[in-house]
Amino acid sequence: MQKIEINLTVNQRSYELKVKPNKRLLDVLRNDLNFTGVKEGCGIGECGACTVIMDGEIVNSCMVLAGQARDSEIITVEDLESENGLHPIQKAFIDAGAVQCGFCTPGMILSTLNLLKENSNPTRSEIKDGLEGNFCRCTGYKQIIDAVELAAEMMRD
Amino acid sequence: MQEFNFLQPENYREALNLLNEYHGKSKIIAGGTDLIVDLRKEKYTDLKYLIDISKLDELEYIKEDGEYIKIGSYTNHKSITKSDLVNKYAKILTLGCSEIGSPQIRNRGTIGGNIITGSPCADSVTPLVALNAIIVIESKEQKREVPIEEFYEGPYRPKIKANELLKEVYFKKLDNSYQGDFIKVKRRNAVSKARINIAALGKIDQAGKVFDIRLAPGSITPKPQRFKSVEELVKGREPDNEIIEKMGQKVAEIMIDKSGYRWSTEYKRPVIRDLTKRILKTVLEVE
Amino acid sequence: MYNEIKKSQNRLDGYEKVTGQAKFGADLNFGHQLYAKTVYSEYPRAEIVSIDISEAEKLEGVVDIITYEDIPGENEMFGRFPVLAAKEVKYIGDGVAVVAAKSKETAEKAVDLINVEYKEKQPLFNMKKAYNSKDDLVHTDKEDNIIEHSHHLMRKGNIKEGLQKADVILERTYYTPFVDQAYIEPEVIVTIPDPYREGIEIHGSIQNPYSIRENVAKIMDLKISQVKVIHSTIGGSFGGKDESVMLMAARTAILAKRTDRPIKMVLTREESMLESCKRHAYELNYKIGAKQDGTIVAIEDEVYTQGGPYNNKAMFANWRGSVHATGPYRVENVKTDYYGVYTNTIYGGAYRGFSAPQTVFGSESLIDELAYELDISPKEIRLKNCLKEGDTFATGQKFGPGEIPAPLADIIEGVCEHSDYEEKRAEYKEFNNKHNEKKKGIGISCTIRGAGLGGEGIDTAGATLTIDQDGSINLISDLTEMGQGMRTAHSQIAAETLGVSLERFTFINTDTSIIMDGGPTVASRGTLAGGQAVIEAARKLKERLKKVASKKLDCKKEDIVIGNDLIYHKQNKEKTIAFEDLIEVCLNDLGISLSAQGWYNPGPEELDEETGQGKAYPTYVYGCAVTEITVDIKTGKVNVDKITAGYDIGTPINPQQVKGQLYGGLLQGLGYSLMEEFEQKEGYLKTDNFDDYLIPSIKDMPDIDIKLFDIEDDFGPYGAKSVGELGIELVAPSVTNAFYDATGRRIREIPLNLERTLLGKSLSK
Repeated sequence: MQKIEINLTVNQRSYELKVKPNKRLLDVLRNDLNFTGVKEGCGIGECGACTVIMDGEIVNSCMVLAGQARDSEIITVEDLESENGLHPIQKAFIDAGAVQCGFCTPGMILSTLNLLKENSNPTRSEIKDGLEGNFCRCTGYKQIIDAVELAAEMMRD
Repeated sequence: MQEFNFLQPENYREALNLLNEYHGKSKIIAGGTDLIVDLRKEKYTDLKYLIDISKLDELEYIKEDGEYIKIGSYTNHKSITKSDLVNKYAKILTLGCSEIGSPQIRNRGTIGGNIITGSPCADSVTPLVALNAIIVIESKEQKREVPIEEFYEGPYRPKIKANELLKEVYFKKLDNSYQGDFIKVKRRNAVSKARINIAALGKIDQAGKVFDIRLAPGSITPKPQRFKSVEELVKGREPDNEIIEKMGQKVAEIMIDKSGYRWSTEYKRPVIRDLTKRILKTVLEVE
Repeated sequence: MYNEIKKSQNRLDGYEKVTGQAKFGADLNFGHQLYAKTVYSEYPRAEIVSIDISEAEKLEGVVDIITYEDIPGENEMFGRFPVLAAKEVKYIGDGVAVVAAKSKETAEKAVDLINVEYKEKQPLFNMKKAYNSKDDLVHTDKEDNIIEHSHHLMRKGNIKEGLQKADVILERTYYTPFVDQAYIEPEVIVTIPDPYREGIEIHGSIQNPYSIRENVAKIMDLKISQVKVIHSTIGGSFGGKDESVMLMAARTAILAKRTDRPIKMVLTREESMLESCKRHAYELNYKIGAKQDGTIVAIEDEVYTQGGPYNNKAMFANWRGSVHATGPYRVENVKTDYYGVYTNTIYGGAYRGFSAPQTVFGSESLIDELAYELDISPKEIRLKNCLKEGDTFATGQKFGPGEIPAPLADIIEGVCEHSDYEEKRAEYKEFNNKHNEKKKGIGISCTIRGAGLGGEGIDTAGATLTIDQDGSINLISDLTEMGQGMRTAHSQIAAETLGVSLERFTFINTDTSIIMDGGPTVASRGTLAGGQAVIEAARKLKERLKKVASKKLDCKKEDIVIGNDLIYHKQNKEKTIAFEDLIEVCLNDLGISLSAQGWYNPGPEELDEETGQGKAYPTYVYGCAVTEITVDIKTGKVNVDKITAGYDIGTPINPQQVKGQLYGGLLQGLGYSLMEEFEQKEGYLKTDNFDDYLIPSIKDMPDIDIKLFDIEDDFGPYGAKSVGELGIELVAPSVTNAFYDATGRRIREIPLNLERTLLGKSLSK
């Protein structure tokens, strides 16, 4: 098994890495680059805890091999807070009570980010469509939907 | 996670060359949403090389070509669900692809991957069967085309050689006189495999008779296929509840003929009968 | 009027969680750490003939391998769990050996190289067969397969005479499956050698640090003080991160000590589902006798709870079950028996509800069946029989003013009115007459739930509050935050008691070396018991502050008020001092300790073990749910459209978080009702990840409408009672009751998956 060289940009910073080809994007982000906001829940692309944004689309980072992420641009939850403080989605998740254990939260927030990029004023049903690939066991989802609505409102203003 | 060497061809020709060179010990990886699950379980004992086609723009397209719609094998489900062409000329494929996995899976998973995996409940395959889709397969040496119905030996067993690559799937555009539908029965409302799915297309002529009917039930037979003997029952006739009832019964009978009486038959027999009736009423516009 | 409680305040750990900075177990790494992986049994029951580790040892990167022979202390933990199986494996999740290697990949490879020779034995899978067997025993030192101390009973009145008085008697059996807590974070333990204590330090996803500490000390042959446990941020637990992390902690502790290096063990989802405890599977046999007018006169029940080969929870869960077996009803004649049974299957443990989801499914299905049998509205039969002032519970406890509140009738009325229960019953009947493919139904269920541990153990808890120089306040509890919001609720209670704002508070993860063991974080007692300890600590500090302030402001201590971060004279607001200034005086000028410990001890509950009569719980919480469903009768698909529920949980310290607990519980209950179960074939698990073990997605979420009935009850802190577990238990019976309403078919086993709904039974490969 020969190591492969990959370039990738994570949260606007580019990295050059040499990794084993059977590493997943998830492993690279968590172990090589220490973006531990990316979580592993199932390893088979079901739960969405490892969601990141890759070239503008949400993906399960456990379902992308490191080599397949070559030259791509990745956004993880660590990117959202800025000098101006928390991103409105992060604020909304706190304000609406959408966080309990917090393990699904990074993925949930990234799915929300992309949903709101495509649809700035989603209905509750559209929110469900956008977040259907992110499982949460704690909240029962209701306050997550509230948070997305609240975030949408904050981002429109 | 099993070990392998990772090859990333620059273009489509190179991919074919690599496949030729390493055939028997290599696999193609596209979106990876099925394959990586298997790699994690270390399922492929002879695998030495993965050939990644995820960077090949040449295989990522949805285009209109005369009376056909052509879809490159590395086209993900999201692109298909967002495609105006597909939506206009093959709505049932839009419906099928939008039922696959989750947004994350639809962003990575490809139509080629769904066809190659060959799951009997694949949500894109059932509509493609109803669309009489043709699969284009190419190796370094030759190119061939196969109707999707003839592409499988059985569940998860596509008829593709180790040096061949699925390049494209294409089908005839449907005019707007066709009615189509896709129904999926699932245990959960999202991120769910189909327990049973079914796709159907129907066209009624001006005399009110059935001009065309295509019925493709999924996950009830080892190979995906249209149930043509059932279609014949209504072809050229005015559809009514009586004939639809008969067609439903017949689909259930054929399922048992083809699959035998299995552990799931007790459930599937009544359900496929009733789903057939339900979808036929829609596509043949019977009250 | 309160300033800091009864108020939806943002959670204290929100920032770290929305930014991805919270450190969960898997996010911890220590220098020179090794990665550990367990070799699991290959058979559900087999004799271990030999374990050959020689090939694995040769693998480059393998540092150590342990088997049962390497355990320094006893090879048995609470609940009879072996650290590693010695002579026999008793289910497919038993550990046989553990590898520590320089990388995760090497550990995985080494596991495959360990060769264990087994001699297969015929396993005991069937619970009733195991219960009746006297010669085939899961534990051969026992005389039967009944789990130790798991037989609990309730005797009230005279069951024979009671049943004789009945006009109608129904006999019914209900079944519930093993289900998983399915927290999204799989278990993690990181253990590091502690040279100072000559012991070890354990981090990870640990719900109950003290029991882990005690068990690890025992198997390591260390003193308890040599083992230090600090839980990391926990990604959900719901009762589950207990036995499995105990095993992981024990195994990694041995390796850490032997290698003198940190050991990290992260379970895959498959390993988590294999090795962690499940909700016990139940068989509930009920007999109910009632008068023609619907008055219940007697309930007799015999309940079997499946425990698997090891069990440290059936003795507690069965007791809770036995107290609640007759539901929230006035029943004069009761005979209840619960038995836990050993089998060679996955094993039962704690999962949110702890007997209630199973028991309430049985008892609330039963009363619904009685209602239809007698042609009485399901609502009316519940109103008629539910516990009211002056009634006595199955335990003999009296309900009424000055004693235990009995608000259920009001809650039922309220929920039914709010959901238009009777109107919708009529409406759906009409709908169903017109529709052949889709049917609609509405179902009701209600519950009573003992708050806290009650007779399971003493409901003690401890907390330490420390005020620092700048007026910031640190709180530590011996109870753990797992996502439920306890640290925020505790801080709100402390802030309210002290008269300061919540912003001052920080909260640290429980560290067994700095705060005393007050018992586990279970039984929805975080607020109930933990909150009382917090109040006591805060009151102690408040007293000290007032004393100093009275000198400083030159007035009597009794006249000092602390509120809104100010200390002032109650009549003369001129006499005031800022909180920070007072702290400075205390610490810098006077050298007064501003750290105080609170300890709560309600004392043991008094119970007669022969009859189950006595004070089982100091108080109770209540709930009623009305659930509306649509059934596709051609495919068997059930969709839950709406849940309207009402609860009395006492004072909601943080209403938003209280609702979050209830919403989350309801959705877990929905999974229990419709989709969650383990398929086992000959002792092997066919369901081991989220592709087959289905938990509700966001698209399965129904409309949920919750109303809180804040009934006065002095027992808990500021009148707060319990909420964590309450949400889950009402869903399954209200769904099956709605299913009956929709289809006229009664299903007595959950989940209502496609096949069971259509055919009345589950199908299996």
